[in-house]
Amino acid sequence: MLIMLPILVLFLPGMAWGFSDPNIVLPGGHQPDQPMEVMFYASLGVVFGATMCGVLLAFDGVSRDRASGVFELRLAQPMPRTHQAIALMLGMWQAIFIPVAVLSLVSVAIIRWRLGEWASVWDVMIYLTATALILFWYVVFTLLASSRTKDQGTAIAFGIGMWFLFTFLWALFTTMVAYASGVAIGEQNDAQWIALEGSLDLLSPNGVYHHLLETRIPEIERGVPAWQSWTMAVIWTLIPSSFFVRRMNTLQP
Amino acid sequence: MEGDLLRLEKVTFRHRMSDPSRLKPWRTRPGPGVHSITLSLRPGEILGLVGPNGAGKTTLLRTIAGVLPIQNGKIMLSSNAKKAQVDSDSLRSIVGHMPEQVRWQGRQSVEDALLELAEMRGASAKRVDGLLRLVGLSQRATAHLSDLSQGMRQRLTLAAALLGSPKFLLLDEPLNGLDPVAATAFVQLLHELKSKGVSIIISSHQVEGLEAITDRIALMHRGQLLAHGTLAEIADSLELQPSIMVAGPGELPDLSWCEHRVESPSPQDTWAIRLDHSGVDLLPKFIERGIEVHSWNPKSPGIVELLCAATGMNIEEVGLEITSTAMLPHKSVGGEEE
Repeated sequence: MLIMLPILVLFLPGMAWGFSDPNIVLPGGHQPDQPMEVMFYASLGVVFGATMCGVLLAFDGVSRDRASGVFELRLAQPMPRTHQAIALMLGMWQAIFIPVAVLSLVSVAIIRWRLGEWASVWDVMIYLTATALILFWYVVFTLLASSRTKDQGTAIAFGIGMWFLFTFLWALFTTMVAYASGVAIGEQNDAQWIALEGSLDLLSPNGVYHHLLETRIPEIERGVPAWQSWTMAVIWTLIPSSFFVRRMNTLQP
Repeated sequence: MEGDLLRLEKVTFRHRMSDPSRLKPWRTRPGPGVHSITLSLRPGEILGLVGPNGAGKTTLLRTIAGVLPIQNGKIMLSSNAKKAQVDSDSLRSIVGHMPEQVRWQGRQSVEDALLELAEMRGASAKRVDGLLRLVGLSQRATAHLSDLSQGMRQRLTLAAALLGSPKFLLLDEPLNGLDPVAATAFVQLLHELKSKGVSIIISSHQVEGLEAITDRIALMHRGQLLAHGTLAEIADSLELQPSIMVAGPGELPDLSWCEHRVESPSPQDTWAIRLDHSGVDLLPKFIERGIEVHSWNPKSPGIVELLCAATGMNIEEVGLEITSTAMLPHKSVGGEEE
């Protein structure tokens, strides 16, 4: 965690500092001037930095103890395996979420200092909830990978590969689907492209994360109602978790 | 002695082995494991589980510990004249399991690692302190796990197995990595636990040491239980006679009159011979013939001899038969082995 802390500081308060600069001009000439808008742009730090730290924390959550034999001792305890699975998910998740939440609150204070305006309590609550969820998703995916692999190299390769897919390759996937559907690619004023990108984003944890944040920014309209974003958030939470619980119930030392 | 009796009735667990075909690359089939094991563990008894590598000892211990599911058969617990079938969840609360060679590692302290397991078992911090004293790790309670020697790791694993005061204790190769003093203390501890009514199963490759510790032996080979009982009972059932090692000075005398001669190793300047007989009436015959004898040592069949006799193999075959195909049950247990 000590190694990851500088990365998190750079990505979270650092981005909040940069995007709240009164003189900043984003591509397209846009100047964010609302606290929630700045937090939305600064959430790139969560997508690029915090999720990667979550993967790095959880990649050996199962495989290390399994390889060392400690996992067999845990499985031999009377605590139900379902409870063990839930404890493992929540434990790993809080290990990354607590520092991220603290740094996010620091970011809110930085934005207040730079823009002279506080983000609303509701904005901060949604931001923290969405951040908590995306970190949970990545931790659970990584734990699932860790429970499938018997060596740590494969576990970390799987975790980082999945992070890479949703963080970088998803844009490629979206482009391919758009090309196959005959939609103009990357045209920001094309309603078809915006709708397609918004819909496909529901299938990616990073996309759902941004949809959740967009529920607090009326200026961004991608044709995905809030209920759909929250429903997908619940699905992204429940399905991998139940897979992991099932996996733990059948896992052998 | 009063206490609980654990009885395994035709318990079977077989690992899944990859068996891909062109159309079903994910296909698996039953592989090595344990097959139809019927065995009972009496109150306050130490049972030795003996067998070559791949015999299924660890799999059997894991099944009894509730770590692996029972695919066929059942485990019954008799307590206060009541007899009930126990499932894996119930087993975990009454069984303490010490896996083989746990490699504790990381910056967590010894005490914290044990406390974590104690919480999973509902044991108190006081119990953890007591166990650390019992296994001789109280001075190292704050040490990092990575700083422990192999012997200390074994002691910590034993402490973990004793959390929750289990009625049944399963020890997989517990003497590995222990120095002779620690091993002696460990055996004393086992006898203390035994006197308190704890039933213990020990799996070990160090078969000679097991003879002195255990009350009964269970011989395993290829996932099956070949025989169980006291050494004498097993020897009787396998029709193995006790033997006598006789040695004397000089060259091997004429022993053609002796029908029970088995082998004659001949070190320099001495002779030695093993007689396959209880031999009480043989000594006078040696004296009558004026044969000088230096030593006359009656010897019961050892575990290795029992294992060889039970499997019908010689010692090299039993000891080195560790390929995966050899781990498949010997008896026909399904179409895939036919």
